[in-house]
Amino acid sequence: MEKKIEVKNLIISFRTQGGKVQAVRNVSFDLLKGETLAIVGESGSGKSVTNRAIMGISAGNAIIEGGEIIYEGQDLLKISEDDFHKLRGDKIAMIFQDPMSSLNPIMRVGKQLTEAMLLKAKSGSRRARNEFNKKLKLLNENMDEACAGDAEKIKSNDEKCKTFDNFCISSTKLESAYNEIYRHAVELKVDIDDLIMLTEKGRKIDAGSKIKRFVKAIAGTYHPDIVVRSEELDSYISVLKSFNDKVIDAGALEALKGISVYIDKATQKRKPNYFTLGFYMMKNKDADVDDIPLDELTEMTRAYLDKEFMLDFIATGSKALENSREKSLRKKRELLVSLQECLAYFRGDTIDKKTAYALVSSAGKQLKNAIDRLEIYKNSTEYTFSSSIESALKKYFDGVKHNPKAQKVFDRQTAKYNALVEKGKTPDWKVVPAMLADLDLAKNNIIKIIENLIESINKNLTEEFDSQTAMVSLIDWFKERASMVVYKVTRKTAKAKALKLLEEVGIPEPTVRYNQYPFEFSGGMRQRIVIAIALAANPDVLICDEPTTALDVTIQSQILELINKLKKERNLSVIFITHDLGVVANMADKIAVMYAGKIVEYGTADDIFYDARHPYTWALLSSMPDLETSEKLDAIPGTPPNMIYPPKGDAFAERNKYALKIDYELEPPQFYVSDTHWAATWLLDPRAPKVERPKIISERIERMKKLWGEQDGE
Amino acid sequence: MENKKDFSSAETLLRVEHLCQYFKMGKGELKAVDDVNFDIKKGEVFGLVGESGCGKTTTGRSIIGLYNITSGKVYFKDKLICLGTSGYSARIKEERKKVAAEIKELKKELSADPSRREDVDKAIKEKEDALAEFTAKEKDELYKALAERQHAEREYVFSEMQKVEDKFAPLLEEARNSGDEKKYAELKKQYAHDLRVASKKRLSTQIQMIFQDPIASLDPRMTVREIISEGLVINGVKDKKYIEEKVYEVLETVGLVREHAGRYPHEFSGGQRQRIGIARAVIMQPEMIIADEPISALDVSIQAQVINLLNDLRDKFGLTILFIAHDLSVVKYFSDRIGVMYFGKMVELASSDELFAHPLHPYTKSLLSAIPLPDPHYEKKRVRMIYNPMAEHDYSEDKPSMREVSPKHFVYCNDKEFENYRKILSEQTSL
Repeated sequence: MEKKIEVKNLIISFRTQGGKVQAVRNVSFDLLKGETLAIVGESGSGKSVTNRAIMGISAGNAIIEGGEIIYEGQDLLKISEDDFHKLRGDKIAMIFQDPMSSLNPIMRVGKQLTEAMLLKAKSGSRRARNEFNKKLKLLNENMDEACAGDAEKIKSNDEKCKTFDNFCISSTKLESAYNEIYRHAVELKVDIDDLIMLTEKGRKIDAGSKIKRFVKAIAGTYHPDIVVRSEELDSYISVLKSFNDKVIDAGALEALKGISVYIDKATQKRKPNYFTLGFYMMKNKDADVDDIPLDELTEMTRAYLDKEFMLDFIATGSKALENSREKSLRKKRELLVSLQECLAYFRGDTIDKKTAYALVSSAGKQLKNAIDRLEIYKNSTEYTFSSSIESALKKYFDGVKHNPKAQKVFDRQTAKYNALVEKGKTPDWKVVPAMLADLDLAKNNIIKIIENLIESINKNLTEEFDSQTAMVSLIDWFKERASMVVYKVTRKTAKAKALKLLEEVGIPEPTVRYNQYPFEFSGGMRQRIVIAIALAANPDVLICDEPTTALDVTIQSQILELINKLKKERNLSVIFITHDLGVVANMADKIAVMYAGKIVEYGTADDIFYDARHPYTWALLSSMPDLETSEKLDAIPGTPPNMIYPPKGDAFAERNKYALKIDYELEPPQFYVSDTHWAATWLLDPRAPKVERPKIISERIERMKKLWGEQDGE
Repeated sequence: MENKKDFSSAETLLRVEHLCQYFKMGKGELKAVDDVNFDIKKGEVFGLVGESGCGKTTTGRSIIGLYNITSGKVYFKDKLICLGTSGYSARIKEERKKVAAEIKELKKELSADPSRREDVDKAIKEKEDALAEFTAKEKDELYKALAERQHAEREYVFSEMQKVEDKFAPLLEEARNSGDEKKYAELKKQYAHDLRVASKKRLSTQIQMIFQDPIASLDPRMTVREIISEGLVINGVKDKKYIEEKVYEVLETVGLVREHAGRYPHEFSGGQRQRIGIARAVIMQPEMIIADEPISALDVSIQAQVINLLNDLRDKFGLTILFIAHDLSVVKYFSDRIGVMYFGKMVELASSDELFAHPLHPYTKSLLSAIPLPDPHYEKKRVRMIYNPMAEHDYSEDKPSMREVSPKHFVYCNDKEFENYRKILSEQTSL
């Protein structure tokens, strides 16, 4: 599956008065598309800090000491604030813990929903147009290169690209108009049905103004592909127009019913293929499309299009793609040679700063030229190579520069201390340990980055390439951009979209709620608004930071169900932060348990709930009572460690009743239980004594297994 | 279950009768708590659950006297501690309105048929007399209730003072006879101090409250010592040494150390802060504690610590606890009996095992179906029931009330539902 976000070796500290708090210490995880990752841990375990870094909203005193967060081929830790603006909210959205404090109390809910849409729409459309043009130009160039020498063909290529451009945009325009009117028609039908239902129930309502509105609205739904004006419809409308009473009479009711059925039939029609239709319109600007029946038109345009243009365009495009790929592969082979050179140099004993930087920057430049820009899928290793190797180099040379100084200071202080001790005094201060950078590690990092790139290029060289499918997906990409250009967000469309969102997140009477202030909503409703705002820009990744902690049980399960539903509908990737394991049982595909800034156990939901291995996970699972618990609770004694002075060895050892001697001395590595499941605890070492998980958990699992049977029986 | 005992035979400590708490909202009234009845036995833990805004916190705060209740009575050890007065005047007002309407009707009859003047006059007079009688009766009851509350308070203080007197009288006698002037003076001083403390005692100090948010409920400018001892100081204790000792004692009881007394609340973690809140309640040696969501603001691992602490305290001091929470697993674990509230009304009341085994009211069922369990397999299939009062009940004719469906199991229902519930219950228990 496609990786949405990769977090690699993330290290974050905070500068505070008391010293440097090491909040996140070497955290790595991947978030796949359409997957939910739950991060579980106590407050202060670094789960929120990690996710704030992904959103680019770390606190002012945060220091990002190392690592990468890769999203769509770029490192989120290194891009500029301007670039982040394009991602934050648009691609990665966040739901915060307290819905009251994340809404503006003096702005109406509707305005808060549409504000970002309107602000982002303009720049988004311009950006999409730019991207569209750039890629088309590149394609054009490659087409020319592919049929080098043939002047006539080159000329026709230009023509083709221009046609494609025009036709892409115009077809999307047609489609957007269709969608707009279709929505109106459906909404109108719902309104009319409501009125009919109320009348049949015998309610007395003021129908005059409503019917006037309907008559007006019907005129807005005329479209050759949806509601076609006919004698039947006209007769209904004339009945309604003559209606001037307050209470609906039999004739008007009949007319309303007729219209409802008419619209229903009209909206059941097959949606026309505007991609082909648009092309026909382009070619025959004078043709009156309204007169031709839709099926005939579609057939006609498709037959014409498939043979003449589209196949040709795809064929030429595929050639261009092949050309571009070959060019890139050729350059990559050259690059491999210089990369090997680099590798040999860095593996050597002495590294000179100037040469190193020269080598790396030349390799970087070569790579930049070698990347196949027509490829849609961005290879993250290639795109982040330059920035990551530069930061690795900086770390290494900083170490080279500062290590002797730090050592000197340390030596001087030690000498002073020892002198005092020799005199028989006991100093009231201690020698601060020297902050030495690990040069070997830094060097290894550099080598690893280069090796990774070589591996990725080798893989690329041997990969099979189907230019036809690549071209088709490229055309899809163009279509997507075109829709971004065409769908203009105005105040009106933004409102319509906001109302739809409000309905989607389960808020009754959205039109009334749209104009209310946050204080008029209950806690659960407020959280729904926050979710709607987060979804407004259609993000890929949704980060939920304890979204239900402030809510009670029934509302909590409603919100969880909502997030689950939206995730499935929109294929979202979700990061779900919580301290309550019970909450994530239904939500999570993967679970990462964090403690003191590290992931201590990682696995699928089944791994964690049925086969937990880390004592901290055990403690989390057994410290909360469930419906059958009767014995004394297994509370975790003490509090989390002070992260200004992170404990030596396993951070959880202090509070761990299964702690071994080695836990106080050496940090445990990751022991893999299965392919998807690992835990960082010495208990999994083959030399460790066998420890059974607490009885309370085993008993619960047994009990729950019985419950499954009951569930299935029902 | 070992920690679930039957308290039905124990002495009733708190009795809540027809408790109503309405808040004025614009033109209308918000019925935060509406006609709630329950009693709590000595030594038991009574859980109150429901979604936010259903009035469980308001109930707790009304009992302890943080709000003036609209109507109803709260008895603590059979002594009236809370009394709502506006219920009486509202009833009188209503009766007046009713009688006025009737009289108007009669007068209309009279104008239609002037010959019946005598009959009508008589009828009107009868009605007016009945109204006067009703008003007098209501007023009488109100004054009686007011007097009862005053009396209860006085009686309590008097009995406390009597206790001190009883304790000191023989000692003083002995000291005077022994002729030890110094000892006698000291004793006399002690006697005066204790008497003053006793005279300041109020019934309500026997009930203490632990608040939800451990950060907001502690004054950031007071040290822990000041926070914990504040209750004692207000009650007139002036012996600094005694206060100091008491503070240290409760600090150790709740799992903190003496050194913490000099610190400020911000220097503590969430769990420790909640312990301070508990210490503040425990130092008054209350018989009952109202714990208003004491763990919802805490981390999972700390929650377990606080629950264990409350359990220990309960065993040690024989405390009675009114436990308000929305986390049903915790309430089930901790409480002996549970009351379920929905929009100001108590909808179901039963022992915790009974409630979870045979939930009857649809709202209780929907609450139980919403509990998340730490088991992915089970969770993926869990079906949440949705409670819609409009669809579930038809109360247009048959008015509902609290009825005992089976012994000690009360459900808010009308006659039809009552029969239905009984049937369901008998089917379930016979299986």
